[in-house]
Amino acid sequence: MSVAETLAAVRPRSSRAVAFLVFAIAIALIAATPFLPNYYIRVIDSLLIYILLGIGLNIVIGYTGLLDLGFVAFYAVGAYSYALLASPQLGLHLPFLLILLVAACLGAITGILLGIPVLRLRGDYLAIVTLGFGEIVRIIINNLDWLTGGPKGIARLDKASILGIQIARPVDFFWLLLVVVLLAGLVAWRLERSILGKAWAAIREDQDAARGIGINTTNAKLAAFATSATIGSIAGAIFGASQRFVSPESFTLQESVLIVLMIVVGGIGNILGIVAGAAILILLPEVLREFAEWRILFLGLLMIFLIIVRPAGIVPRSFGPDKLIRRLIGK
Amino acid sequence: MTLAFDRLRKEYGQVVAIDDVTASFAPGLIHGVIGPNGAGKSTLINMTAGSYTVSSGSIVLDGKRLDRLKKYQIANSGVARTYQNIRLFDQMTALENLEVCFYPTDVGGTWKEVLWPPYASSRRDRRREKCMEILRFFDLQGHADAEAGSLPYGRQRMLEIARALVCNPRVLLLDEPAAGLNHHETAELTARLAAQRSPDRITIIVEHDMDLVMALCDNIIVMHHGKLLFQGTPAEVQASTDVQLAYLGTANDIDDIRAAAQDRRAQLGIRTRRRS
Repeated sequence: MSVAETLAAVRPRSSRAVAFLVFAIAIALIAATPFLPNYYIRVIDSLLIYILLGIGLNIVIGYTGLLDLGFVAFYAVGAYSYALLASPQLGLHLPFLLILLVAACLGAITGILLGIPVLRLRGDYLAIVTLGFGEIVRIIINNLDWLTGGPKGIARLDKASILGIQIARPVDFFWLLLVVVLLAGLVAWRLERSILGKAWAAIREDQDAARGIGINTTNAKLAAFATSATIGSIAGAIFGASQRFVSPESFTLQESVLIVLMIVVGGIGNILGIVAGAAILILLPEVLREFAEWRILFLGLLMIFLIIVRPAGIVPRSFGPDKLIRRLIGK
Repeated sequence: MTLAFDRLRKEYGQVVAIDDVTASFAPGLIHGVIGPNGAGKSTLINMTAGSYTVSSGSIVLDGKRLDRLKKYQIANSGVARTYQNIRLFDQMTALENLEVCFYPTDVGGTWKEVLWPPYASSRRDRRREKCMEILRFFDLQGHADAEAGSLPYGRQRMLEIARALVCNPRVLLLDEPAAGLNHHETAELTARLAAQRSPDRITIIVEHDMDLVMALCDNIIVMHHGKLLFQGTPAEVQASTDVQLAYLGTANDIDDIRAAAQDRRAQLGIRTRRRS
């Protein structure tokens, strides 16, 4: 957090050094993680899952400017995909990679299904409808006992394995998640810079003017919803595999709100910001575990402080990954 | 082949905003649309661009019905426009504001752009080259990387016209392009609009600044109470007693019309400045 803060506030003179520092710290953290006790690795795993979710949701909120409060639904779709296809529940035991693919496709389809009816809405109205959608998915899961086990959830999920290598320990998931987060981050960042990303930005800035220059806003928004849902769903499948137990409790409105908060606190529309936001909102409660009854208060105060001091987020939109890379190679 | 309105009509309940207007606009010419406030000038532009629906009648461009298409489809048929109150993509740079206009032609290659960086950079370079050409034409090259919303008001007006021109549209619709500009900027605008004239382009300008209209337009349409009141060259319009009556209520000379228009322009300028 402090690194990111200094990063955004530095003068250009020392900025290259700071960029190197951030990079070095990131590498050191990654290198050190496998040697930490399992408890810490689990915390870092969950941090990575939230970063992944943040990268996904950011496509809709940050790039396209649509406030989606039901993102957790896609997370649930992914998690239950794994739970149903790799457990005694239906007697299916498909390989992990195949399920990841199925989850990605199901995510995209749900994303488009949600997208079609809500695309006419904007702002608060969209937020309310997506919020409702998130709750609908959770309630369906909660009541579809014969399929999902209802509130009891689904237990004894298979251990995941990729090409014969078992992914079971927290550290295995750490490497898997690291690769997936880097890939998703790369794809999201390149999408933002593509012509589609520019169209998303135009829709965010002025939807009507965007139509006026020939952008089919319906298709562009559906593309945003689908990509975002795919990433959310993949995160869900990995979450299911790592917990080896899923229940509707993991997919409440609070989760959606938490992911939105991460993006807002970290910096809307900026992947670096999401990493910073996730780090604060996921790690801080762990750090403050001993002061359990105070930590929500502390979190609240911190957020008020951040909103006053850095209203554009810890790492603002203007300081994107391109800038960090440019600083690193010294251009 | 032209742009043609045939008995074009726009009704809001009992109110008739556009009352059976039939007109055609030849390519290569700059057409002015003038008339008192509420005459329906902007409504014509908004219907042509697809921002408003058409109540009855038709708009045909080169044999193709536009009035049944969606706004983005109309844009993709070669109709570009600017807005009375500037509508740029404020948080995008000036260059990006133009670059995004290539979405309709380039969107098919999005995944290739994402997965294959050399393709992405060659595509981007090609897009940006075209954009820089237009920016240079409007003397905006120095602002290419500035956020559109941070540009001075006059530059924003120019940038919006540049955005409309970047894909070389068949029809260019300008809704009060000189609103809020000072004399110097209006002169610059007049020169640039004259310079963008091309044999294939149909330019339609709705404007209150009579100096600009009279200097620039080859053909002028005068609207009054939603009806087409008069059509002719600037000289014919200035000589028409009908036009003078419509503007001022009495037969009077063009200087009074001009004064009234200037007054309105000044008011509009203050309003738009306050908004920005």
